[in-house]
Amino acid sequence: MLDVLINPNKFFEARMKGAESLKIPLLIVLISGMISGIAAFLMTGITLEMLRETLPPEALGLASTIGGISAFVAAVIGSLLIWVVFAALFFGISALLKGEGTFKRTLEFVGYGYIPMIIGGLISAVLLYNFISTAQIPHVTDPTEIAEVITQWMTKNPMVQLSSIISILFMLWSANIWVFGLRHARNLSTKNALITVGILVAVYILYSVWQLGVLG
Amino acid sequence: MMKLLPLIFLLLFVVGISGTPVAGEQKASVMITGYQVSPEALMYNDIGTVTVTVKNMEAVQSVRILEASLLEREIKVLSDPYVSIGSLGPGESLNLSFTIKAGYTDGIYYPRLLLEAENAENIRYQIPVKIDSTPLTIGVKEIPEEIVKGERTEIKLAVGNPRPNTVTGVKIVAADENMIPSEVFMGTLSSDETKVASFNFTPQTRGVHTLTFSLEFKNGDNPHSAALSIPLNVTESKKSAELILTGIELESTLRMSVYKITGDINNAGLEEARSVVMKVGEGAGIEAVDPYKAYFVGLLSPDDFSSFELDVKVDETVTKVPLLIEYKDDEGNLFSTTEYISIERHQTTSSKELPVSMIALLVVIALLIIGVVAYSWKRR
Repeated sequence: MLDVLINPNKFFEARMKGAESLKIPLLIVLISGMISGIAAFLMTGITLEMLRETLPPEALGLASTIGGISAFVAAVIGSLLIWVVFAALFFGISALLKGEGTFKRTLEFVGYGYIPMIIGGLISAVLLYNFISTAQIPHVTDPTEIAEVITQWMTKNPMVQLSSIISILFMLWSANIWVFGLRHARNLSTKNALITVGILVAVYILYSVWQLGVLG
Repeated sequence: MMKLLPLIFLLLFVVGISGTPVAGEQKASVMITGYQVSPEALMYNDIGTVTVTVKNMEAVQSVRILEASLLEREIKVLSDPYVSIGSLGPGESLNLSFTIKAGYTDGIYYPRLLLEAENAENIRYQIPVKIDSTPLTIGVKEIPEEIVKGERTEIKLAVGNPRPNTVTGVKIVAADENMIPSEVFMGTLSSDETKVASFNFTPQTRGVHTLTFSLEFKNGDNPHSAALSIPLNVTESKKSAELILTGIELESTLRMSVYKITGDINNAGLEEARSVVMKVGEGAGIEAVDPYKAYFVGLLSPDDFSSFELDVKVDETVTKVPLLIEYKDDEGNLFSTTEYISIERHQTTSSKELPVSMIALLVVIALLIIGVVAYSWKRR
């Protein structure tokens, strides 16, 4: 399994000889989704904390529990959806580049590419927890102001920014794995595999950088 | 003709008698009919005047006044003698004034007036001038036994005139800035008369205070003054309202550098605090902002409390925010105290720069990923 991180070419070459299986990739994506869910749970807690003067204490407690669990579940489901969407997009782009291979294989290999994002997600979650435990949570009376606060954190707070940068770095690592994965899954040249992955990852990274306020 | 000669000689004799003065003739009469010393009694070094009235007592004859002067060793006569004053018609009077300056020894002195007139006896006349340096008295008539910080205290002062004459322009001037009024004008004070002046004093600090009053008056045209110092021990009221802040919280808001200060204000005293108002105190880099530039708490009974909320904008350098608490007692006396609230900024949320350890972590992760990616491409 270590080969997928340090020598993905050899890893996917070997996997191509075996039968298509989504069990391990699904597990990887689920773990990644659960880590994202933890971050979402924390963010929901901090968001509702902003409304502590607007909501009654009982409602706040209930909203925190339900909201946190909902955010966790949504993050897990969202990760699975994104996995499928990413695989579909890779499949589509590679088809334009005359790629060949099944979608299931593409989905399988894209799932393996989520391993670096598990590590990145853990680090980001620790940083986020560190930020939340020390942050001064402002009170807001208008729920529409919450988005403004979160935007301020994203663009002004160094801990949140660091968390985002680390996520981008690990996404690059995942992209590297996807290049080799698609090369084998879709029988692409290295160049076409780079283009396929590069288009999608570039869009994602540009969006992340824009969220940080660097391009804003 | 020969019979007429004796008659002519007699006529010439009679005419000669009437036209030539003779030894033992009666001189004209000039008198001092009155005098006035102003002020009636002088104090040390006072300047005053002595006015004498000279009258020609003759019914038909004028008298020519040649010279008038006033002489005295203990009292200095500042004005020059009168010379060649002129004629004084029958029954006419003339006032002659002399300026004098009192010496330094109390007593009654008798300066002599010397008046020289033509065809009249010289006049020597002694005028009594009194020098009495007894000053006016000033003392405390009424003052409360206990003087409490921040409470208005009425102090009554009595001014007496033990002098033999009336003094004018009497006033008391207070030196303390917390004294109202700062000056009381009493006007004229007759001999043996007493007048009372009231002052209101509101001490702002505890401890010993010395109140200083200056009594100013005029004896004639001469200004004089006397001082009065009153030592006071100002204490805290044992029953007064005592406002204490608890549960203070400082929260950042959406607006940059704007904090919301919340907490409770408690009355731990035994009296009511009225019209309680909380404000953000003045200071460099500190500015009260809406919606709660100030917070009106109102009446705060003993053992009661109220929540408050204030909004303040502070610069990065500010570490403490002063909170000004103002209230009034039952008599309307205004009290104010200042409490300071510390601002603790969390480095992780306010710093615009990453901690060194975080930068190191970022670099390590970046190098690790670059290394792994490079390795994977090398092994391809």
